[in-house]
Amino acid sequence: MATPTPMGAVRVERVRGRSALTRCFARYPLKLIAPSRVGPSSCDAVWLYALTYGGGIVSGDTVSCTVSVGDGCTAAITTQASTKVYKAVGSKCSEQLLEARVGEDALLAVIPDPVTCFSTARYHQKQVFHVSVNSNLVLVDWFTSGRYESGERWDFSFYKSVNHIFLGDQPLFIDSTLLEQSSSYSIAERMREYNVVAMVVLLGPKLRDIQDKMQDEVRKLMSGQLRPPTAGGSLYTTRSQRPRRPPLVASCSPFGRTGTGMVARVAAVSTELAYIFLRHHLAALEPFLGAPPYAAS
Amino acid sequence: MEPGSPAPKKSRLVHSADCEMEEAQAPSSSNAAGGVNQSLHWTQWQILDSILPTGGFAHSYGLEAAMQSRVVNDQEDLRSFVVQVLDSAGSLLLPFVHCACAGKSPGDAAAWAKLDRLLDATLTNEVARKASAAQGSALLRVAASVFAEVPALQELRRTLLGSKSVSFHHAPVFGLVCGLVGFDGEAAQRAYMFVTMRDVLSAATRLNLIGPLAASVLQHQLAPDAERMVRKWRDRDVSEASQTAPLLDAVQGCHAYMFSRLFCS
Repeated sequence: MATPTPMGAVRVERVRGRSALTRCFARYPLKLIAPSRVGPSSCDAVWLYALTYGGGIVSGDTVSCTVSVGDGCTAAITTQASTKVYKAVGSKCSEQLLEARVGEDALLAVIPDPVTCFSTARYHQKQVFHVSVNSNLVLVDWFTSGRYESGERWDFSFYKSVNHIFLGDQPLFIDSTLLEQSSSYSIAERMREYNVVAMVVLLGPKLRDIQDKMQDEVRKLMSGQLRPPTAGGSLYTTRSQRPRRPPLVASCSPFGRTGTGMVARVAAVSTELAYIFLRHHLAALEPFLGAPPYAAS
Repeated sequence: MEPGSPAPKKSRLVHSADCEMEEAQAPSSSNAAGGVNQSLHWTQWQILDSILPTGGFAHSYGLEAAMQSRVVNDQEDLRSFVVQVLDSAGSLLLPFVHCACAGKSPGDAAAWAKLDRLLDATLTNEVARKASAAQGSALLRVAASVFAEVPALQELRRTLLGSKSVSFHHAPVFGLVCGLVGFDGEAAQRAYMFVTMRDVLSAATRLNLIGPLAASVLQHQLAPDAERMVRKWRDRDVSEASQTAPLLDAVQGCHAYMFSRLFCS
């Protein structure tokens, strides 16, 4: 990782048979809040809210954090609102780095609100997860086109998000998404009317049922909306009769040699649609986390 | 039988001696200019030729799913689609072509297998991952049979088939084959972009999105864009490989959800 001393450090370990926050350190501009009551007391999960002063990351700032979830523990990391990435000053990037270790039979859920890059913003994010064979991981990584409701769509200069999951020293899931304005087609032209891109990773034995259900439901949702162009192969001749695209496109893929992981890729026309999708498909995490992710507030 | 048999035997001997001589000459003079370049041309053109049975035409690179989800509706959309596919191939896959082609010792099976495993983890879209493994396996099998003057291809294939967790992904196989038959790294990367565009446009004609003549016109028109992307993405390390078309990636993942489909991916 780029910075030798991270701005935040979190450790969750088993204390008297329960998941407990044994280390929680953060320095400006990062702030970590650990509310004591998120779910019922019967539920064994530590919740953390990661905040930055000013609600976002200014150009040139790097926010870095390490997280360690001990064997058999459960932790959820989320945010209170979307992370704003402010306009770039010169060629400086705003950066977020996360390095996490997930122990045996442990569960880490990284379930933030989306990243919203303002016009000209430059953003780089890298998240590295070290897991073992029976670790469990929920990872949601998503971003919007910007403040699109006020007309600022796909107007940032640079966005790169990297997610690596390593099983021992072997790469299990290597994901990198890069969007920059330089290509022949602008980002807005490439993204059509879609304003949100989301990725959901579900990994590990505890999440098997949730994976299967999500794959089934996404297949049903999408197969009804896919059909060949009009019979005979002739294309829509006039623009007015061109059928509309699905407002939300989603697809699921298993990953890992033994298929222990699943990733869903989503594109949606609005943040609200993406929230509804996430809320629905992750609701079954409630028994593990004590509260459903992205509950309407 | 009796009187006829010595003759074929003799000619077989002569032939095999010829082959050995050619083999002995090929490595020593492969760097020299002149006559050898001409024979290299024949090999290079054959790798780019659509008659080489690598199964590329079973794949639409997500075009079929893009049409069924109405992301691509006409020829103008197709142009944008092809450019995005090339940009993404350049960004995500050219590093693997480059690294497999420029390997320090081209016969290093362990280093190649590591590249292949990394790409297997990088192709997180199952539709694209299976397509890549199918095309790569076919290409290596075909290349090992066709380019018999390069024994390293056969040997490497045998070694890799015997080792576990090798998927034979297309980009690193393409780079490996190109490197072993004498392409330089840049030519190999340009060739990869060429076959990618060729296969997408072939799929577009079979999906009735564009006629064969218009497809050739488009192929020629897009060559400068493709060349710009080769210059932009060439010679990068695999650690920089990135997906640049998230919408098309989500759409391509839907390929298996379609009730009726022409292509494997």
